Amino acid sequence: MKQIVITGTRKGIGQSLAKHYLAQGWGVIGCSRGDSSIEHDQYKHYSVDVGDESGVIEMARDVKQQVGAVDALLNNAGIASMNHCLLTPGSTVSNILQTNVVGTFLFCREFAKLMRKSDQPRIVNFTTVAHPLNLEGEAIYAASKAAVESLTRIMARELAELRITVNAVGPTPVLTDLIKGVSSEKMDALLARQAIPRYGKAEDVINAVDFFIRPESDFITGQVLYLGGVT
Amino acid sequence: MPIMPTSEEVEVLVIESVRLLAEDFDLTALQQPTAESTLYGNDGVLDSMALVNLIADIEEAVSEKFCAAIALADEKAMSARNSPFLNVKTLTQAVLERIES
Repeated sequence: MKQIVITGTRKGIGQSLAKHYLAQGWGVIGCSRGDSSIEHDQYKHYSVDVGDESGVIEMARDVKQQVGAVDALLNNAGIASMNHCLLTPGSTVSNILQTNVVGTFLFCREFAKLMRKSDQPRIVNFTTVAHPLNLEGEAIYAASKAAVESLTRIMARELAELRITVNAVGPTPVLTDLIKGVSSEKMDALLARQAIPRYGKAEDVINAVDFFIRPESDFITGQVLYLGGVT
Repeated sequence: MPIMPTSEEVEVLVIESVRLLAEDFDLTALQQPTAESTLYGNDGVLDSMALVNLIADIEEAVSEKFCAAIALADEKAMSARNSPFLNVKTLTQAVLERIES
């Protein structure tokens, strides 16, 4: 059975991704800061903060002992804070960078080591259209995802020798907790900047991730795919 | 709970990891490694990708044999005047220090 590691599986897109790959017959290893929200024979959950280096190392060692090799990693876990840059506390900046950038890096580093025996090793990171659209009020979130895109492109080159492809998907706003505090006027204005002006759905994200993960995509790496016609 | 190994036990683990890596990477100079075998650096046999694989192999082996989760490429390793990846002896010492800490 192929094994996929997905971060941030307790709710939202991460939970949808986990359920999708369970339905496809994968073994799914999920994590979140809280307890599991998924009950399934082929699902294993770790309560870990993705930005906690020792916690991520412990998780990777346990995964190695439990399942051996890992075939794919989806770095879905992320946090955002919509605020004007002049009103953003330094602690918020640190938290966002720790989860979005350091967390993505740590999972790539630790789980790439477990992918060396996989036939089709894949990493998919998560970015956002907030970066190419330069959205006001999202300076730190967008900057953190810009860093994730840079990590993606450079890791694609560094991990190519291990046959691991590293790509990123950039969803448009999806109706999840991540945007629950944003006014509808702001969201409408944002959607209007997309070529296809609608909210994204979990299925849109799953489709893009499926594309990167499929065996035929072994010549596709270092790419960032935005949804909704954002470039 | 981590099992505290002796330096001899860690050296055996490192040498065995190097020997298996030499098989995988077809490295004739390291097929019978000893404590003095040079690994990475001026006269080292390993290229960067082989070193990455060796580090990952040793971290896994330490986890399995001694129940300790260590990261060899840490701040201490990066800032050390003498690389811990120079030879089997320095690598053994680095592994031991990280298990102990």
